[in-house]
Amino acid sequence: MKKWKVIAGILLFGSLWGFSEVIIGSTIQDVGLPSGAIMTGVFAIFFLVSSRIIYRQPGMQFGIGLVAGGLRLFNPFVGCHLCSAIAIMAEGAIFELIWYRISFDFSELKTTIMQGSMGIISAYTIFVGGYIVTQILTPIADGANFYIENLIVFMPNILARGLIAAVIGGIVLPITILTKKIDITIKDRLYYPTTIGLSILCWFVVIGNWFVA
Amino acid sequence: MGKEKIIPILALIILIIGGTSSAYVYATQIDKETISINGYEYTIDQLFYMGEAKTIETMEGEKTGVSLEDLIPKLGVGCPSCHEYTIMGKEGYQKTVDWDIMKTGVLADIKKVYFPDTAKSFWVGDIVEIEVK
Repeated sequence: MKKWKVIAGILLFGSLWGFSEVIIGSTIQDVGLPSGAIMTGVFAIFFLVSSRIIYRQPGMQFGIGLVAGGLRLFNPFVGCHLCSAIAIMAEGAIFELIWYRISFDFSELKTTIMQGSMGIISAYTIFVGGYIVTQILTPIADGANFYIENLIVFMPNILARGLIAAVIGGIVLPITILTKKIDITIKDRLYYPTTIGLSILCWFVVIGNWFVA
Repeated sequence: MGKEKIIPILALIILIIGGTSSAYVYATQIDKETISINGYEYTIDQLFYMGEAKTIETMEGEKTGVSLEDLIPKLGVGCPSCHEYTIMGKEGYQKTVDWDIMKTGVLADIKKVYFPDTAKSFWVGDIVEIEVK
């Protein structure tokens, strides 16, 4: 696959994920639902797995996390923008590590039990991992000190919060794999305008939302 | 053991860890009306009576509460700059800050601290204790 095609894909999926985190995540938070777990279980799993289905390129999900986290930084009015940005970037990297040994044709995940199990593992691990990474890096990035005892005391809570993400991920991943059966082909001459255009739209809305807020 | 066995087993272990942790968090959650500061219990009204009110500008707009710079010395903490302060929420969430950060903050009537120049992760809510170290 052409290098530029993959880069455009990273930009598109990262922008869609970042857009979801900022716009939909804030709405979920406003109604008092556990936005972090829902965003990971639904949107992170959907965008990371579907990009893997479509492009089949190693390293791509790490790049998607970087783009999504970067976009999240542009909306400081929703939740903790620095913590969220770090967590999203970590989630992309952790997903890449977990899926390292899973083949790109998903041959191991033929049954619903395997798909659901992988959804549970992926969502829980990236949520808990992202949470831990952000608890360590946010104080450091913010110029304060990191205290390991603060993390240890809060670990049961982090492990508990991941349960919601795990259950959602166990449902969303099999549904996402179903999209393999949908055949959408975009002609090359339309591919770049579509991906770049949608990405720009996501960034435009998020940054515009920043000025409006 | 092949992936077809390891993956479901790992998923099951994760669900058990998540479920057990949820039960633990629920069982150990501290729910009380007072805030323990430096070993003594205070209601939020008492703290507001003791300390001066202050409004700070944060990334979420203005926040008003009792000034921690004014309150902490009044609670018997000698040499405030010699200590670090661990602010604990009822769900176990806690953050430790030094005096340079602490003195900029306010404690709002919803038992939440706000600091003007830190990430929101330092804004601990549902505070049950401020430990002076």
